[in-house]
Amino acid sequence: MAKIELQNIAHSYNPQAADKAYALNPFNMTWVDGGRYAILGPSGCGKTTMLNIMSGIVQPSEGKLLFNDVDVTKLSTSERNIAQVFQFPVIYGTMSVEQNLAFPLVCRNFEKAVIVAKVQEVAGALSLEGLLKKSASKLTADQKQLISLGRGLVRDDVAAVLMDEPLTVIDPDLKFRLRRQLKEINQKYRSTLIYVTHDQNEAMTFAENIIVMDAGSIVQVGSPSELFERPKTTFVGYFIGAPAMNFFECKLEGSHNVSFGGASIITETDLSKTGEATLKLGIRSEYIRIVETAGINTIKAQVQRVEDLGTHKLVSAIFDNQNVKIKVKRDQEVPLDSVSLEFPARHCCVYEKEQLI
Amino acid sequence: MGLLYTCLKYLVVSLWSIFVIAPFLWAISTSFKDFQSVTNGATYIPWVDFEPTLEGWRALWKSPAKGGVDIVEPFFNSIFVTCAGSLISILLGTLAAYALSRFTFKAGFIRNSDITFFFISQRIMPPVVLAIPFFIMLGKFALLDTLLGLIVVYIVLLMPIAVWIMVDFFNKVPREIDETALIDGCNPYQAFYKVVLPNSIPGIIVAGMFCLIFGWTDFFFSFILTFTEVQLLPVAIVALNSSITPWWSLSAAALVSVAPLIAVAFVVERYLSKGNLSGALK
Ligand SMILES: Nc1ncnc2c1ncn2[C@@H]1O[C@H](COP(=O)(O)OP(=O)(O)O)[C@@H](O)[C@H]1O
Ligand SMILES: [Mg+2]
Repeated sequence: MAKIELQNIAHSYNPQAADKAYALNPFNMTWVDGGRYAILGPSGCGKTTMLNIMSGIVQPSEGKLLFNDVDVTKLSTSERNIAQVFQFPVIYGTMSVEQNLAFPLVCRNFEKAVIVAKVQEVAGALSLEGLLKKSASKLTADQKQLISLGRGLVRDDVAAVLMDEPLTVIDPDLKFRLRRQLKEINQKYRSTLIYVTHDQNEAMTFAENIIVMDAGSIVQVGSPSELFERPKTTFVGYFIGAPAMNFFECKLEGSHNVSFGGASIITETDLSKTGEATLKLGIRSEYIRIVETAGINTIKAQVQRVEDLGTHKLVSAIFDNQNVKIKVKRDQEVPLDSVSLEFPARHCCVYEKEQLI
Repeated sequence: MGLLYTCLKYLVVSLWSIFVIAPFLWAISTSFKDFQSVTNGATYIPWVDFEPTLEGWRALWKSPAKGGVDIVEPFFNSIFVTCAGSLISILLGTLAAYALSRFTFKAGFIRNSDITFFFISQRIMPPVVLAIPFFIMLGKFALLDTLLGLIVVYIVLLMPIAVWIMVDFFNKVPREIDETALIDGCNPYQAFYKVVLPNSIPGIIVAGMFCLIFGWTDFFFSFILTFTEVQLLPVAIVALNSSITPWWSLSAAALVSVAPLIAVAFVVERYLSKGNLSGALK
């Protein structure tokens, strides 16, 4: 259990190359002891690289790694006392399930009684009791992944548990249960849990804090609601939320106003220091309201399509050649006609060069 | 159509079986003959065509002074040299292969794949090219005509096979296995022998089989590098082919020399057909 700090960490897999392409651009990050984090980002953005740097499988090309203020950058993986679960099951095929689960404890010379008790506990939490004596190589893919998870959870003195998309190979039913179980285990032992995923639902329901990454950089760190309400960049707006945030090309009009397609929108953002004439207005489809009469902050859009998604309706409309998506309650009638859409000022985010103002 | 295909299939398989088995049958029948049965025209079936005798087999452990051919010592020499050479080759080859598979080496323009190729390239040259250098080097170290000298040469010949097979095998073992072992608290050596090695036994068995076969069947180097003190089985058998060839003992000796390989093939085949080679990991 430890506070983990990454100071000016950067990594390139090919540092000798002339144009050393960073897999991770220089960044700072602090993981609070006992926190439950999710790293979210598209494939290839450097999530695995970041985890591997923390566990010591990859030596960062630049920067320092501190556990509880002690520099561990040069320490080997085993000396860091960290647990990591990979995306695909890794099992020790020549050992039984029980020996697999006990291996991290045996390697670190835990007492026999402790080992037996911990293995029982973890096997219980993951419903593996019936398989303990079986050879690990004879199991199905999700059972194997449960063992990988179990090996990651069997030590409760670790600095952090790192999980790299651990539930990819597990079917949805079990996935849901396991995610809850992981959450409970984290609450019980208060060990730092860092969970990589590219599924935003998983991240939103699981984590206290989400780290959104793109192209080797951390774009935003925040709670699920912060990411939802005020995405720091248009990328986060696109990436988080279903459907993605609505963005409109617009022009600067006043200290709090922007305009597009002849409509003027008042926002709560102070735009007086903005030099850029063209901006982007972002608003979540959940916050756009369909109103009877045009008034302040309304646009007149043409409805194209209404989809019933079970829990709600998704309305696709067009205004000024730009698409608008609106989420409305299931029972609301939406005409396939021109409608007035209201943009509540406090939910409008304004972006200059893709960055939130 | 189906019937024709089946018939054709069985015909081909039968012809091939005859082709493979006939020399064995010939050797077995000859090994039970005596001078009379060999020289008086072709005979095939014991007790009908000729009277079987165990003389050819008995001669194998009788000393030449008593009219035997005595291949007991060459037999055990061969076993010793082949096993020792194979064992050391597998040991060194596995370690080298693991390093080549997991770590990146750079020396000038040389990379891992070049090092692997260097090992294999030892087997590309015709053996004749190596014979004279080996002869001179072993001579310098007074290892000509000794078991140790032969073992050294066999290691040079067999290790490339072991490295080649094992590099390929380790490349197919996911790195995550090693990484997981490190995370679970092993140091790199423990990760190798506690986790990677037990998972690699199928590969080691295959590599070992090839080493044993190539080592056991070598005639050329043991012929060139030994004279009087040490003799290996293939050389001893060929030496039987003198002015009056004892065909019966020659056949028996030939059968003795194939027997260990058949045993090895049998054991390995059993092991491989149980599906132990595939699916060891994942
Ligand atoms: N061992 C490696 N050698 C070279 N490049 C790598 C290696 N591993 C990852 N990369 C590159 O680094 C970038 C980040 O990869 P990764 O951390 O695996 O992303 P993610 O886990 O987010 O999908 C990718 O562009 C990938 O191609
Ligand atoms: Mg990854």
